[in-house]
Amino acid sequence: MIWEVFRQEEPGDYHQHVGNVHAPDREMAKQFAQIQHARRMQTNSLWVVPQSEIGEVTAEEASFGGETDKSYRWAMTYNDIDASFAEEVAESEEEQREAAEKRTEVNS
Amino acid sequence: MDIETVEQRAGPRQFGPSDELPEEYRRAATRMIQFHANSEVMGGYLDKEFTRHAPSLDRKLANTAKVQDEIGHAQLLYRAAETLGVKTREEMLDELANGEGKFLNCFHYPVDSWYEAPMIDFFVDGGAMRRQATLKRTSWTPYAHAMDKICFEEGFHVKHGESILRELMTSSKAVQERVQETFEEWWPRILQFFGPTNDESHHDEFAQRVGLKTVSNDELRNSFLNMYVPKAEKYGLEIPEYPRIFERDDGTMAVREEDLDWEEFWTIAKNDYEGSHEQIGSRRRRQEAVEWVRQAMDSWDTTAESAPQAAD
Repeated sequence: MIWEVFRQEEPGDYHQHVGNVHAPDREMAKQFAQIQHARRMQTNSLWVVPQSEIGEVTAEEASFGGETDKSYRWAMTYNDIDASFAEEVAESEEEQREAAEKRTEVNS
Repeated sequence: MDIETVEQRAGPRQFGPSDELPEEYRRAATRMIQFHANSEVMGGYLDKEFTRHAPSLDRKLANTAKVQDEIGHAQLLYRAAETLGVKTREEMLDELANGEGKFLNCFHYPVDSWYEAPMIDFFVDGGAMRRQATLKRTSWTPYAHAMDKICFEEGFHVKHGESILRELMTSSKAVQERVQETFEEWWPRILQFFGPTNDESHHDEFAQRVGLKTVSNDELRNSFLNMYVPKAEKYGLEIPEYPRIFERDDGTMAVREEDLDWEEFWTIAKNDYEGSHEQIGSRRRRQEAVEWVRQAMDSWDTTAESAPQAAD
């Protein structure tokens, strides 16, 4: 049985997928996950999830969006407005800009 | 964990569903996140009025996108609140519908003109974003994670709101006067957005001790004034004489709280203001009107072969 492993580095972080392990049951999966995915990496917590319990939807079968031009819903569009007066607005815009660059890379 | 341990360990993203937390913490966190989630719903319902008033297609599109975001934020927050194990999502939604659920003061005032759009979309959202950015460091991890996504989206809302204000204030003299009038009506409400002074706030102190809140109402209000008063003035809005704003010794701004109508504020806090009844009632009626959609979805044959499209 295959178990997918998610590792959280520090308290409060997101658990991120780091790989999977073979194990007959949950207890063994937790042990193997520790050995394979936590031993040399900073770890605060691990999750193990049976692979069969994971539902997946891929870009081939669904349209995830982000392909039509919806520039009106992004902060960068309003470029006659300077976001720097409030750091949280500037930060949000920066995150949106990064996300937009990723979308462009994927779509091109 | 007892309260003392919680206080000692309190810090950004310190606690999560796997921790055994005292009832007092879980209740306080639920109260706070439920309030936040309710406010996203009620803010979304209020904002959707502007789609009709928006003067151009671009503005209408941006406005519907914003409303979609707000309702999405509510979903994230109800999930984060549910993880505390105090109330279910269903219970919280029922409370909102029957008038028990509390939400932000500014969303208790029905809107009916485009001039009000920048009041909500720039000033109120700007204030909300000030607060939300500090909540990325809250001690309840699921709440902090919800804030990551919410803050990612909010930048567009605030900039779009400012863009509307700028457009209106560079328009005709008559329009500018209408905006000024609207601003005068909204300004005291906006100042009350951050709640009462610290010593009058019932929940502030506990929430800070256990790391749910990282910044006090007073600090938030003052930092908001420091940023948004210059913005209002930049676009030619005059700050009303009352409530009086004054500069403190350290150069930061504060408001004379005795100039604000706290009776109205506390009536609103009980959902008992005229506007409260109207806003809560109109949402409930809309919910009832689309009951058939929910029923249709509940009876949906889940085995049906279909490729659902993600909301874009």
